[in-house]
Amino acid sequence: MSSSSPLERTIDKVLSQKESELISKIDSAYQESLRNLDSSKSKLNSEYLAIIENARKQAENLKRQIVGSSRLSARNNQLILIEDSVRTVFEMVRKRLSSLHKEPDYEKLMKQALLNAFKEMGKNDLSIECNKTDYSLVRKVADSINKEMGTKMVVANKSIDILGGIRVTSSDGTLSYDDSIDSRIERLKPLIRKNIVQVLRGERGRESWSQKVE
Amino acid sequence: MSESAAIEYTKVAEIKGPLMIIDGITKASFDELVEIETSDSDRRLGRVLEVGHGKAVVQVFEGTTGLAISGTKAKFLGKTMAMPVSPELLGRVFDGLGRPNDGLPDPIAEKFLDVNGEPMNPERREYPTSFIQTGVSVIDGMLTLVRGQKLPIFSGSGMPHNVLAAQIARQATVVGTKEDFAVVFAAIGVQYSEAQYFKRSLEESGALRRSVLFLNLADDPAIERIITPRVALTVAEYLAFDLGMHVLAILTDMTNYAEALREISAAREEVPGRKGYPGYLYTDLANNYERAGRIRGKNGSVTQVPILSMPADDITHPIPDLTGYITEGQIVLGRDLFRKGVYPPVNVLMSLSRLMKDGVGEGKTRSDHMEVGNQLYDAYSRAQEVRALAEIVGRSGLTGVDLKYLDAGDMFESHFLKQGKDENRGLEETLSRTWDVLSTLPEGELTKIKEKHVRQYYKETK
Repeated sequence: MSSSSPLERTIDKVLSQKESELISKIDSAYQESLRNLDSSKSKLNSEYLAIIENARKQAENLKRQIVGSSRLSARNNQLILIEDSVRTVFEMVRKRLSSLHKEPDYEKLMKQALLNAFKEMGKNDLSIECNKTDYSLVRKVADSINKEMGTKMVVANKSIDILGGIRVTSSDGTLSYDDSIDSRIERLKPLIRKNIVQVLRGERGRESWSQKVE
Repeated sequence: MSESAAIEYTKVAEIKGPLMIIDGITKASFDELVEIETSDSDRRLGRVLEVGHGKAVVQVFEGTTGLAISGTKAKFLGKTMAMPVSPELLGRVFDGLGRPNDGLPDPIAEKFLDVNGEPMNPERREYPTSFIQTGVSVIDGMLTLVRGQKLPIFSGSGMPHNVLAAQIARQATVVGTKEDFAVVFAAIGVQYSEAQYFKRSLEESGALRRSVLFLNLADDPAIERIITPRVALTVAEYLAFDLGMHVLAILTDMTNYAEALREISAAREEVPGRKGYPGYLYTDLANNYERAGRIRGKNGSVTQVPILSMPADDITHPIPDLTGYITEGQIVLGRDLFRKGVYPPVNVLMSLSRLMKDGVGEGKTRSDHMEVGNQLYDAYSRAQEVRALAEIVGRSGLTGVDLKYLDAGDMFESHFLKQGKDENRGLEETLSRTWDVLSTLPEGELTKIKEKHVRQYYKETK
């Protein structure tokens, strides 16, 4: 008896057809997945490179930022230290200037200050203030100027708290003239600060050395 | 610096707005600096505006609030206002009058410079021709900033002009040279938050160490604003012409400066000009703007980017109007683009850099730079016309070429103009983006570009 009837043969044919169809589909799917893998590899690679590049840029920025801010903060700390030293120098200067009245030329300085005040203010009637130590000296100098020039300089009995020098007010109170040592220091502070810093940084030393060489 | 003692005057005749009138003056000169001491030993600064008949009119920078006629003393210092300058100013923050605002001591001055500056000898002025890269595509590509130029930004209230200014300050650089670059930033009457934004943005990008900031806040006295651009430009001139640096000076907001000028003018009862601004507004603005430039034989340069907000977006307002006469072009921010979410919202059709042609091209940037800039103007202008037409006839009524222009216009805004607030684009990238936009048009439409450049850079669509 024949084992394969027409029906069985048809079924076999359909099965083998389907089998080859499936195999070809699997094959093409496999090929496609290989292609996908290849393309995603290059895509992945370019994404990977972009991420690396981005991270490198960020790291560079961060580095620049860290270096910049630490340089700046080091410079700022240096400025604070310099300012502390400048302040110390000024305190020492003030201490030394408080004994200026003992200098032999101090009387000359006072006379010049009073004459300047008279010249600048253009008034005869002037009230002069000074510290306790200078009182008798200022009075002596004012009297001599009054005699010489016919002015009416009066030294106020009440002393003021200054290192030295004078403060002058016109009798009507509309003008005043501050020629105290304290105000002179304040006026010249920006210039003196520069000189002090030059000395602290050794720039003054270098200058004088190079001048000697020349 | 004056070494002799100065006379103090105690006879204050009148205090009127920001002005103080002092009587019994024997010696005073125009623009002389005045130190004012209140009865409770508070000290303020001022300057002489007028002298005569034994009287002096003094403009008090910190305002006259709290000053009384009796007990106030005025000391005439025998000098004009000066700014202490030294290389150590870099990385520092000052207030609107040039006093430290960063908790650090006063700068150790190398010298003191008059804040009014010295006029540049016109014969020694050098024509600006070198490119500054800002990293902002629309500026670098179409409105190129050139060393020594003055290029203002015209903006409106609420628009991101300050964000753009901070971005330029962070990113600006002179490409291809090892010359030093510095930024001087003057904030005139800005809000506290804006001032903090500037400071933080420079700190975070590491750009603060090459910057000097002058901050006059909105709640600082308005009169101080008269001095802020002057001290900032004095420092810029020092860095440029004494230290040989290329300095970008950003002044924001010059409208607040002009308002302060108007306040003083009104207090002095001067005849008002347009919208109440003084008749000398033009010369006063020119005094500031003309401090930009280069000097022959000196290395450095001062480039100015003043920013002004136009009241009610009105470009015919006296401040933008007069500024436009003095400066070399303008960058205009557009409200429509801002509403569309485009940053930076630069309205290129109203903007122009008059010196661009001299700062770009072969040997400076790239040989096709000027041509692609012109072609983009042309294309975007045509795209705007087509957009208007499309609103009437619809897209279907447009020709094929019109549709291409419409796409180019959209791409111009989204791909070229629009950029991140922290995005720093190199010139090559910017020019590549211009070609991306132009390549959406048919080759035949690129009539402003030489054929060899089209062959070299045109990107064929696949």
